[in-house]
Parts: sequence; structure tokens; C-alpha cells
Amino acid sequence: MTTARIAGPPVLSRTRRRRLWLNWRGASLIVALALLVELLVQTRVVDFQYVPAPSAVIGAGWRLLASGRLLSDTGHTLSAALLGWAIGSAAGIVLGIWLGLSRWARRFGLTSVEVLRAIPGIAFVPVVILIFGFTITMEVVTILFVCVWPVLVNAVAGAQAVTAVHDDVARTLQLSRLQRVFAITLPTAVPYIATGMKLGLSTSLALAVVAEMVGNPAGLGYSIVYFQGALQPASMFAVIVWIGLLGLALNLLYELLTGRLSTVRTGLAEAR
Amino acid sequence: MATMNDTAFSAVPRRRWRRGMLSLLGLLPLALLLLVWQLVQQGPSPYFPRPSLWADALVKLAVTGKLWPALWATVQTFLESLVIATLLGSVLGMLIGRRRRIAQTTGPLFEFFRVIPAAAVVPVAVLFGGYTESMKIVVVVFAAIWPVLLTVQSGARRLPAARDDLARSMRLTRWQAVWKVLVPSMVPSILLGVRVAAPIVLIIVLLVEIITQVPGLGALLASGQQNYQAAQVFGIVAISGILGLLTNLLVTAVEAVATRYESR
Repeated sequence: MTTARIAGPPVLSRTRRRRLWLNWRGASLIVALALLVELLVQTRVVDFQYVPAPSAVIGAGWRLLASGRLLSDTGHTLSAALLGWAIGSAAGIVLGIWLGLSRWARRFGLTSVEVLRAIPGIAFVPVVILIFGFTITMEVVTILFVCVWPVLVNAVAGAQAVTAVHDDVARTLQLSRLQRVFAITLPTAVPYIATGMKLGLSTSLALAVVAEMVGNPAGLGYSIVYFQGALQPASMFAVIVWIGLLGLALNLLYELLTGRLSTVRTGLAEAR
Repeated sequence: MATMNDTAFSAVPRRRWRRGMLSLLGLLPLALLLLVWQLVQQGPSPYFPRPSLWADALVKLAVTGKLWPALWATVQTFLESLVIATLLGSVLGMLIGRRRRIAQTTGPLFEFFRVIPAAAVVPVAVLFGGYTESMKIVVVVFAAIWPVLLTVQSGARRLPAARDDLARSMRLTRWQAVWKVLVPSMVPSILLGVRVAAPIVLIIVLLVEIITQVPGLGALLASGQQNYQAAQVFGIVAISGILGLLTNLLVTAVEAVATRYESR
């Protein structure tokens, strides 16, 4: 038990995760599981009517990709997710910085924010469907309403993290209020905001899928429901796996883009 | 201390009372919004029914005997899923955190599972389990196990070497070492995971109910929307907000237990 730990100092989780992607053990587990299912289905040992063989899933995925349907669905889902995420994040930054800077705003606003934030975002999906109907607007509104909170909470914390020294600098330089926000508050809050936006990003994809499953009949979420109803489980599984890969790609992309901000991870880790 | 006792005694409640009043003051914008809503919106509206109609709709649901079973179903699934996710996540997290090879082997698969949105898992779970209570729990656990698993895993990986040495010098058997050293050391990590998992569990329970219409608050929400019963939808949203606040209280309580445990 101890030898593993003596072998080296604890490795940072991020580098570790990167390395896991290249490890043969992890890859072989996935391949082995896929082969096992393939074997069970081909030999009809398991008699689940709706369990497709992995080869069938790959084939269905390839056909969806070749027909262009998968890519156009992806385009729809991603644009809804990213648009909602961008608008929600912008609103979260503005409101959060305001709440963080103004004592008055905190006094009169914070509890209301806490109460609204406690409502599970998913509960708003039916409300948004009622109001906006089965449109892409409905998707975007759902997503932005959920993405706003982690960014807002982190922006409040970030705005309050300005050190006394920086405050003094602002006063010495006689910066105006607006100048102070852009020169001091925002740069301090950026790592926090980046953390909040990362949480929002993965939520945005999940919510786009939900919104498409129960609301707007378009995109990847609707594809899942469609193939479920059409009794094409192989295509359904292919779309689900594709969504998972998409989530991984989004996370990686975001980490690459924000990687330059060395302090990105000092923000609040949870959306609380 | 004895002389300070009476001043402290009177000061603490007053301060708490003041803070309570301040946070009530913070409710003002929300209360104003609801009040304006109530006054401006006369007559029925298909989109924004006034708050008093929400209450009427809820009373109607309660009288017809739909509200309480749904509420109970949601709360029950919430509790069961949270317990299962915590237990399963803790066990797996300890196993993975203590064995580097297992961590390496399962890492990519779990990383992939973690990013699949819960909604996408629902149709798969329905294929296997049908529209049942256990299907609900499976989906919720699948989505909510990760915070517990990951915090326990990193906690187990960073277990101070002295504790291992302690177990060895006391010649504990492997089983004893797990129960007397590892598990007690993991309690803070487990509690941290529960804090993150609890709100997720509530969200996913509602999500599954909305998508599958398996009885629960989410099903009432979805059916309200499909039948254009806006007042019912808003009323249930308000109830889920209350559930969300209660979940936050639970999280705060868990936090308090965690700090007491750690300071011991």
C-alpha cells in the first residue's frame, strides 16, 4: 500500500488527468468492455432486445456522420449551448461585480439571489417552454438562466478579493469608479469568473440536450428521443457517446483557452 | 468568563436577530417583484398567471390528492439516491484512491461517464429498467456519484503516510486498517462530496421525472406544461425552490458536522 506513495510526490490532478488519456490500461479497459458486450450480443447470451453491439453503434455513428445529420444536429445544439452560456456569463459577470462592489446592492439583493439560485434550473424548463414555445429561444433562455449563477457567485467573490494594496493604488492614482472597475476589480476577478464559466460550460451542454429532449424538437437531444421512439438503439447509443465526446472536447478546449491564466484554479471550485 | 457571561448572553441573540433582519431585507426585490406581478396581472394569463393563482392551483392539486404523493415520491427518491451515491462513491473512491493501477485503468472510462449529461442516460436506463422508481435512482446515482467519488479518491490518495505506519505498527489486519484508519480518515472528504452532490441529486431527480413522467414533482411540472396549466407550473416551481432551500440547509448542516469532525 505504501510503496505507491513513496515512489513520488503527489502529482497534480490536471497533469495526471492528461496522462490518463494516453495510458494503455485505461484504453484496454474500454476496449475489453466493448469486446465483452460485442461477444455477449453476437452470441445472444444476453437476450436484451434493445442492446446493440458496439460494432453496430460504431456503424450507426458512421452513417449518421456521413449523412451530415450528426454534424448539423451538433451545430444546432452547440450554438444554443454556447449562446446561452455567453449571455448567461455576461449577465453573471455584470451582476456579480455590481453585487461584489456595492454594499447596498448586497444588502438588498443577496438573499433574493440566494432564493432564486436555490430553485433547480431544470424546473424552469416547463416554464420556459410555456412562454417561448418550441423554439431555439426557449433553449437559449433555459441555458442562460442556469449558467448565470455559478458565474455570478464567483464574480461576487472575485470582486471582493481585491487586496487593500490595490485599493490604495487606485486611490493614489485617483482612478474614477469606472476606471477602478476595469483596471483593478475585473482583473482580480478574472480567475474566479473563469472557474464559474467552466462550471457553466458543462452545464450548458447538458441543458441544451434536456431542452431538446422535452422542448424544442431539434439538435442532438431530439435525436436521442427520435431514435428511441424509432426503435433504433444503435443510433441512439451513437448519439449519446457523441455527446459525451463533445463534452470532453468542450472541457479540453476551455482548459486550453484559459490555460494561459495561471491562476484560473484559485476561484471557488464549487458553484456555491 | 463568568463575568462576561451575561453580556455575551444578550449580545449574541441580538446580533443574530439583526443579521436575520438584514437577510430578510435582502428578500425585498423578490417580494416586490411578486407583489407587482400580483397587482399588474389581472385576470388569467396563459404565460404569467399572478402568484395568488399559483396557490389556488396547488390547493387544487392537494385536494385532488395529486400533490402529496408526488412530493413524497420526489423527496424519497432524493434521499435514497443521495444515500446510495454516497455509499457507492465512498467505496469506489477509497478503492481507486488507494490503488494506483485501478485509478489508471478506470480513469478514462469514468472521465467519459462523467461528462455524459444525465438526460442522455435516461433513455438507456429506461431500456433496461422501464419507467420505474429504480430506473430513477439509477440515473440519479450515475450523475451524482462523481463529486463523492472524486473527493474521496483524492482524500484517500493524500492519506498521511503516518496513518499507514500507525496501522502497521499496531499490526492491524487489512480489514481492521480499513475500518479503523482509512474510513475514519475519509469522513471529511465524504462530507465534502455530499455537500456538492446533494443539489445535483435534487436537480437530476426532477429532470428524470420531467423527461419520463414517472410520478413525482417533475411529472406534475411537465403535465402542467403540456396542458397549459401555467399556474400549476409556477406553483410547482415555487415548491421546488423550497426543496432547493431545504437542500441548502442540509448542506449547511453537513458542513457544520464536517468542521466539528475536523477540529476534533
